[in-house]
Amino acid sequence: MEIVVAVKPVPEAEARLRASADGSGLETDGVKFVLAGYDESAIEQALLLKEAHPPSTVQVLSLGPAARCEEVLRAALALGCDRATLVEAAPSGPLADPMGVARGLAAALRGKKFDLLLVGKQAGDDEEGVVGSALAQLLGVGYAGFVTDLRFDAASGHFRFRRTVERGTELWEAPVPLLVGLQQAWNDPRTAKLPAILRSRKQPIERFDAASALEAAARSLGAAFALPAPRTGAKLLDYRSPQEAAEKLVRALREEAKVFP
Amino acid sequence: MVDFSLSPEAESLRDMARKFARTEMAPHAAECDRTPRFPEEIYRKAHELGLMNLNVPTELGGSGLSLFEQCLLVEELAYACGGMTTSIIANCLALEPLLLGGTEEQKQRFLAPFCASYHLASFCLTEPSGGSDAGALRTRARADGQGYVLDGEKCFITNAPHASLYTVFASLDPALRHKGICAFVVPRDAEGVTTGKDEEKMGHRASSTSTVRFDSVRVPASDRLGAEGDGFGLAMRTLDQTRTPIGALATGIAQAALDHAAAYALKRESFGKPIAQHQAIQIKLANMAQQVHASRLLTWHAAWTIDHGARGTLESSIAKCFASDAALHVADEAVQTFGGYGYMKEYPVEKLLRDAKLTQIYEGANEIQRTVIARELLRGYS
Repeated sequence: MEIVVAVKPVPEAEARLRASADGSGLETDGVKFVLAGYDESAIEQALLLKEAHPPSTVQVLSLGPAARCEEVLRAALALGCDRATLVEAAPSGPLADPMGVARGLAAALRGKKFDLLLVGKQAGDDEEGVVGSALAQLLGVGYAGFVTDLRFDAASGHFRFRRTVERGTELWEAPVPLLVGLQQAWNDPRTAKLPAILRSRKQPIERFDAASALEAAARSLGAAFALPAPRTGAKLLDYRSPQEAAEKLVRALREEAKVFP
Repeated sequence: MVDFSLSPEAESLRDMARKFARTEMAPHAAECDRTPRFPEEIYRKAHELGLMNLNVPTELGGSGLSLFEQCLLVEELAYACGGMTTSIIANCLALEPLLLGGTEEQKQRFLAPFCASYHLASFCLTEPSGGSDAGALRTRARADGQGYVLDGEKCFITNAPHASLYTVFASLDPALRHKGICAFVVPRDAEGVTTGKDEEKMGHRASSTSTVRFDSVRVPASDRLGAEGDGFGLAMRTLDQTRTPIGALATGIAQAALDHAAAYALKRESFGKPIAQHQAIQIKLANMAQQVHASRLLTWHAAWTIDHGARGTLESSIAKCFASDAALHVADEAVQTFGGYGYMKEYPVEKLLRDAKLTQIYEGANEIQRTVIARELLRGYS
C-alpha cells in the first residue's frame, strides 16, 4: 500500500507566543516547531497500516519554510516513515491561506499513485480544518474527516472506519484512493527510538518546487493578528490534600463567589 | 572556534530524553522514592528506546553516543528522577571495562546478546572495607588450572539484585597492591554468586543496591579482561569515562531544584507580595542559577575534551566534584525557599536534597576528586 501523510509544523505547546511587531502574524523567532498531536496520530495510523499490510511505504510531506518543515519531516522519519518530501514555501502569503497550502500539496502529489492520503483532521495551531477537504477536491479523491479506527480490508480493497459525529458513530467503507482527516489520540503514537533519531538526521529529504502552484492569488489573507488580552480574576488555592482543596473551594464558592448559600 | 550551540541532532536527542523523563519517569518518581520501588517497567522501556547502553557501539547493539550526547541525555533523565537515572546508566559503568579492555571476541560474546534485549549489568569494585582505596581490595582471584577462582564480597553495587552480568575486580595477591588486580566478566548464574538484601538508602531509592558475594566462583581465563594486573588501570580508565555523566546527573537534579524553587517563589506570598520579590529570595535564586549554569558548562567541557581524544582526568574530576557539590547546595537552598513545606515529603524538593547527596559520594568521593585535581594540577607546575 502506498500511504502519504501530510503534516504541518506547529509551535511547541510550551512555547510562549507573541504577535509579531507589525501585527501580521505570530512572532516565530525563537519558537520551536514540532509535529502536532493530530499529525502524530496520522503518522501512527500510517505506520500501523504499513505494518499490517506489507509491502507498504509511507511518504511524509510538509509544506512551509524549509528549516521548520525539515525538523518535523525528520521526526516522522525517526518514527518509521520511509520517505520525506519538503514543499518549500515562505512563511507568509500562501501559508496563511488554506487553499494555497492545498494547491501546493496537490501539485506535489498530482500524478503520483497513492492508496491513502492521511492528514490530521485539522491543524494543531490554527485548527482551521480546511486543507484536507480542499486537497481531496483538487486531487479528485474521496474524503472523510473526523475519522477513528481506520482499517484496510485487503479482500475487498476497501478502507473501513468510524466517524464520531453529533448523532453517534457512523461506520463507513470507502474504496482506494482515499483522503482521511484523522481524529487525534484514538491511537497511542509511538516514541521514536534513539538510534532511529540519529539515523533520521542522515536520511535524504526530497524537495518539491511548488512555486508555480503557489503563484495563484490567495483566496484569503490575514488582516491583523493579536493575542487575546490576559484574563484576570482567577484565584489560586494552596492546598496539601484533596480534603483541604475541597474545603477551601467550597468556602470560596459559598463566602466569596456566593454561588450557593 | 568554540561553539556552545547544540547541533539539530543533539537537540533532537535531548528532546527525546526530555519527553521520556517527563512522561515516563517523573509521574512515578515520588512513589518509587517513598515505597521504595525498583520500576523495572520504566527501565525496560528505557532499554527499548535506546536510552540504556549509551556508550556501547551500534554494531554491538548499543546507542553508540559520544560522551557529550550521553551527558545531554543524563541531565534530562536526572531532572525527573536521580535514582532511576542511576539505575538506567549503571550499564554504561559496568560495560565500560569490556569496551576498554575486552577483545573483539569478548565484546561479541558478551555485549551483543546482552544489548539485544533488556539486561542489567553491575560494576563490582567497591568492598565493605574500602571504596576509594581501590588498590587495597581484598576479593581474591586464585589461578587454578584453566582459569581462576574468585572469593570475596563487594558492596554498594548498583542494580546487583537485578543484573545478569557483573564486571568484577579481584586481586591475585593483595601484597601486589594495584599491580595484582585483574578484571573479570562474571555471569550472575555462575555457581557461587549471591546477592544480599536490597539496602535501605537515604536517596536514589528507585535504584537497587546490594552486596555481591563470590564463593569459590570459577571464571575461565577467557573471561578475564586484559592481562593479569591490568585491572586497576582498567577501573581507573573506566571511571575517567563515566565520571562526567555524574556531573550531568547532578546538574539535572540542581536544575530541577532551581525550577521548583523559582516557580514556588513566584506563587508563594509573604508580607503582601510574592516571595520572589524579596531580595533575600532573589539572591538565593541568582546564586542557584550560577551554580547550575557553571555545572552544566564544566560537564559539557569535560565531555567535549574526552570526545576529542584526551583522557580528561582533570576536567572530568572538576566537573563531577563541582556539579555534585553544587547540586547539594542548590537542593538545600530550594528546600529553604520552600520553608516548612520544603521539609515535607509531599513536596518534591526534599527528595532532591537526598538524591543530590549521593553524587558527592559515588563514582569517586569528592575527597578523591580533589586529590586527583590537585595531582593533575601540580603536575603542570613541577
